[in-house]
Amino acid sequence: MAGETGTAKVGGVSPAPHLLRPGKYYLQGSEACIEGSLIAGCRVYAGYPITPAVETMEYASRRFPQVGGRFIQMEDEIASACALIGSSWGGTKALTATSGPGFSLMQEAISIAIMSETPMVIVDIQRSGPGQGYITASQQDIMQARWGHHGDGPIIALAPGSVQEIFELTIEAFNLSEQWRTPVFVMTEETVAHMREPLVVPPWNEVEVRERKKPQDLGVPPRDYLPWGHDTVAPMANWGEGYNVNFVALVHLEDGNITRYSPEANYHCVERLQKKIEGNADTIARIEAKFLGDCKHLIVCYGAVSRTAMEAAIEARERGLEVGYLRLITLWPFPEEKLRRIVGTVDTIFVPEMNLGMMRHPITEALRDQCKKVVSIPSLGILHSPEYILSRIQEEIS
Amino acid sequence: MNKTPRFEIRIAGFGGQGVVTIGRILGEAFTLYEGKNSVNTHSYGPESRGGACKSEVVVSDGEIHYPNVRKADLFIALSQVALDTYIADLKGGGILLIDPHSVKNVPSRSKYRVYEVPTMEIAHDIGGVKFQNSVALGALYPLIAHMIKESSLRKAISNNVPPETVEINMGAFKRGMQYGRGDGDS
Amino acid sequence: MLKYLKEEGPLGPRLPLIFCPGCGSGQVLNYTLHAVDRIIEEDNARKEDFLFISGIGCSGRITSHYMNFDSAWTIHGRALAIATGALLANPAFRVIVFTGDGDNGSIGGNHFIHACRRNIDVTILCLNNGLYGMTGGQHAPTTPPGMITTTTPYENREAAFDLCKLAEIAGATYVARWTTAHPRQVIKSIMKGIRKRGTAFIEILSQCPVHEKTSPVAILKKFKRTTIPIGKAEGYTEGKTVIGEFCDLDRKEWNESYQEIIDQFLAGNGKTDAQVVD
Repeated sequence: MAGETGTAKVGGVSPAPHLLRPGKYYLQGSEACIEGSLIAGCRVYAGYPITPAVETMEYASRRFPQVGGRFIQMEDEIASACALIGSSWGGTKALTATSGPGFSLMQEAISIAIMSETPMVIVDIQRSGPGQGYITASQQDIMQARWGHHGDGPIIALAPGSVQEIFELTIEAFNLSEQWRTPVFVMTEETVAHMREPLVVPPWNEVEVRERKKPQDLGVPPRDYLPWGHDTVAPMANWGEGYNVNFVALVHLEDGNITRYSPEANYHCVERLQKKIEGNADTIARIEAKFLGDCKHLIVCYGAVSRTAMEAAIEARERGLEVGYLRLITLWPFPEEKLRRIVGTVDTIFVPEMNLGMMRHPITEALRDQCKKVVSIPSLGILHSPEYILSRIQEEIS
Repeated sequence: MNKTPRFEIRIAGFGGQGVVTIGRILGEAFTLYEGKNSVNTHSYGPESRGGACKSEVVVSDGEIHYPNVRKADLFIALSQVALDTYIADLKGGGILLIDPHSVKNVPSRSKYRVYEVPTMEIAHDIGGVKFQNSVALGALYPLIAHMIKESSLRKAISNNVPPETVEINMGAFKRGMQYGRGDGDS
Repeated sequence: MLKYLKEEGPLGPRLPLIFCPGCGSGQVLNYTLHAVDRIIEEDNARKEDFLFISGIGCSGRITSHYMNFDSAWTIHGRALAIATGALLANPAFRVIVFTGDGDNGSIGGNHFIHACRRNIDVTILCLNNGLYGMTGGQHAPTTPPGMITTTTPYENREAAFDLCKLAEIAGATYVARWTTAHPRQVIKSIMKGIRKRGTAFIEILSQCPVHEKTSPVAILKKFKRTTIPIGKAEGYTEGKTVIGEFCDLDRKEWNESYQEIIDQFLAGNGKTDAQVVD
């Protein structure tokens, strides 16, 4: 239906032999991620070994065939990302996990996935950079996630903070990628990928799994099908369904035509992609907030660092400091409007990150009129300790 | 069982001593068989300093925010280097479990509750150094019996050793436990 | 064959084709459609299963612009990686990849040799014109030594790949080389390639009249003159290019082999990882 943005078929988990049954488990983040992808209906994994994503890949190589899926080790990360595109258009959800250097290699494929509106999920288990960096944790790819691909065009990126959450957000990543026909990244750190925590798998009928909207669902026959039309998120016909779908990643019109180029057509095509995601940031983006009521100093955090930040916020409150806590569960699209609405006026905003300050920029842009100062608290190669965050806060306050 | 607010365990030694396995077993035992919450992490590299390897388990009945050890309640040190590196992070009055064969010197010893268990020797006696973990866990059990059942530890060990070695490992656990019960502060 | 071309494709009406006058791409398109048509007829194959994927270059323009089939016009050198993903999603696809000597032998080289090694079920049609046509005539890994191109103004000093030998060594199970001047042989090979369950690599020497600055007829005549069928070569090629079928083997195709792994779990035989603890 025109105007009904992002509708997708909603269903439950499709049973498969050896799919993780409801219950309590003790798993590593990397394992929980794979289990989440299988619950979401992913049946193709194509990847390339890179530390610290190796465990994720090895676990996938064992689990995917167990549920009837296929695993392949491709010859490099470029091939892996391309295989995801092929699988997605071939009708099957696909996943890969990598780290910074591999993520860099995938950017061309990501760019064409954005333009062609291809659902796919990439997990980036971030390690230190730049260059070969080191194998310890970081949050150094979050800008690469947003801008690493050439050209305009937004993506969706989620940042889990625990094993339970990486399970849930991997499922959510697939749902979002199907619903919005876009690449979605799960931006995690070596910290979360390697830690073990309890994982509770809910009853399958309580898990929402979304599938891409198809022209068949709308009763649109091949003859009348507009590959990039009909709705804000175009219904997606897959290869093999008799729709004679032509995949292109050039500037295109609704009917797939790529020759009637004009600056207007160019603008319309690319701006449409932008609005599809950024224009729906409020719906898509999720945040978590605590202690906001009377807070004078706000910690804005994401990913593994949010674990430390919460501990620091609780302790700060115990010391009588009016500290609030805000966690970005969705990194991109950046929830600018939501933040402005939720955050009142504060003195200082602290942004602890495992990089030299990346998210602090959109945060500053969004909240500069609602605070006096934004302070970056960087930590490279090691997760912030509560003492470190608290000492920086005390320093600034006094 | 007592309600656990937050109990921090650190195990450290050289790579290959079972540091990671002990942490994983403890984490599993507390989480799957005691119904508690726990976070188990491990690290290599510069964060562990000196080529050492460390594993941590933070246990709680409630939510665990910061996932790492701040001030350990229990420290199992399998090498002198590991002990030297991390002893300062052990709480005053905290439990220190060492093998006197590899850890000879404990600075400010009187600050802690120190338990010396010849895990290597006992393991050799049973069948080899690879059973050292189970011996250590057996010796540890009496010290944490107020927060975990013996069966939970045994089950977790069984899940994490090759099936054909379960029996020997249970024997190793028992020997460690027997030694532990006959020992105290030194 | 017109029924296999979209009346109105992404590039507009199907005729006239965008290829330069006398370009070999048009011939290859024609031969391919003939081969596909016969497969659909003779084998009762489903038209919906056919999937044409191309990369970048003149060869890249053969698919989505015209094909009234499922198709993809993808990025430089990566068609085979995308094809691999498609086959993982649906092993029933009959994938035909159009590529060029640069697309396949240079930037796509890694994906090329690994596709052959894996023996995935794909038919690779490599249009070899010995240079980079679309971008203006730069030299390619297949440019003969001594040739002057826009990036070898002082003569090409590099050796050239023998793409068929590469394919064979890498593990392709059907390898052949023809030219656009051998229509019946090309059509037969394409049919064999499609029917072969595994990687089929068919190199087709194709004329680029624009960059060779020679009439297409002259180039076609040259193809006939300077090639020698493998049956006649017998170690003495007279300096000519050997054409013909180099290998036609039977080796388990990737999906066929992987299915055996899946089957053991569906039958409940394999040990699994999913440990449930309540």
